[in-house]
Amino acid sequence: MSLFAALQVSASGMQAERTRAETLVENMANAETTRTPEGGPYKRKDVVFSSELQESPFSAVFQNELATGVTVADITEDQSAPDLRYLPSHPDANSEGYVAFPKMNPATEMADLLNTTRSYQANIAAMTAVKDMITHSIDLLR
Amino acid sequence: MLDALTGNLERYLDLLSARQKISASNIANADTPGYKTKDIDFQQEFMSMINGQQPLTIEADGLPVKPDGNNVNIDREARMLAENAMRFNVASVLLKGQIASVKSAITGGGTA
Repeated sequence: MSLFAALQVSASGMQAERTRAETLVENMANAETTRTPEGGPYKRKDVVFSSELQESPFSAVFQNELATGVTVADITEDQSAPDLRYLPSHPDANSEGYVAFPKMNPATEMADLLNTTRSYQANIAAMTAVKDMITHSIDLLR
Repeated sequence: MLDALTGNLERYLDLLSARQKISASNIANADTPGYKTKDIDFQQEFMSMINGQQPLTIEADGLPVKPDGNNVNIDREARMLAENAMRFNVASVLLKGQIASVKSAITGGGTA
């Protein structure tokens, strides 16, 4: 039944968008973080999406060729230089009194988060449409 | 298989579910850099399915490409989803009618 593969594809999209939302929220929460286990200020993260053929346990290989899901291929760290602010009394200040803060624009993160929410909703809409089709197929048996 | 019409309806439903799967893939990959919108040539694939072949995908053309190389248009996919679902409903109602008439023949037109 090829329609179940479509559900799998939408689920992969939802999972990828969820990971993206988690990353963006992490970025916003750490906008002012100056200490990390690796040392230095927090580096904002980006998710990299890549499409992949969907494996479904019950369908033959040729049926899968149409179903391309999405996966998070990588989570990259922004390597741009940190934002230096003059705070001489801060414990993490360097010898000249500057503190390195993560380079981040909350507005960008927020816009990305909105985008993620909409994409997530689009995947849910696709899933609902497919579910309705499956329900109609089942109705044929009644 | 009851008759030729039922067989064709069955293929039509198969093709619609294949197309719905492609739409779901396109939506899932709406943010994947370099991903190109996929589609199937409905009429051509319907004819080739009659000959027992599996539907092939093509890349939809005429869509504006975003800077990251992706050309998924969510509005187009939403339309596809709705259109496919409605077509599927119509076809399944027709198929149900076919099955009902066979059932009626089996029961001799009675309500049992």
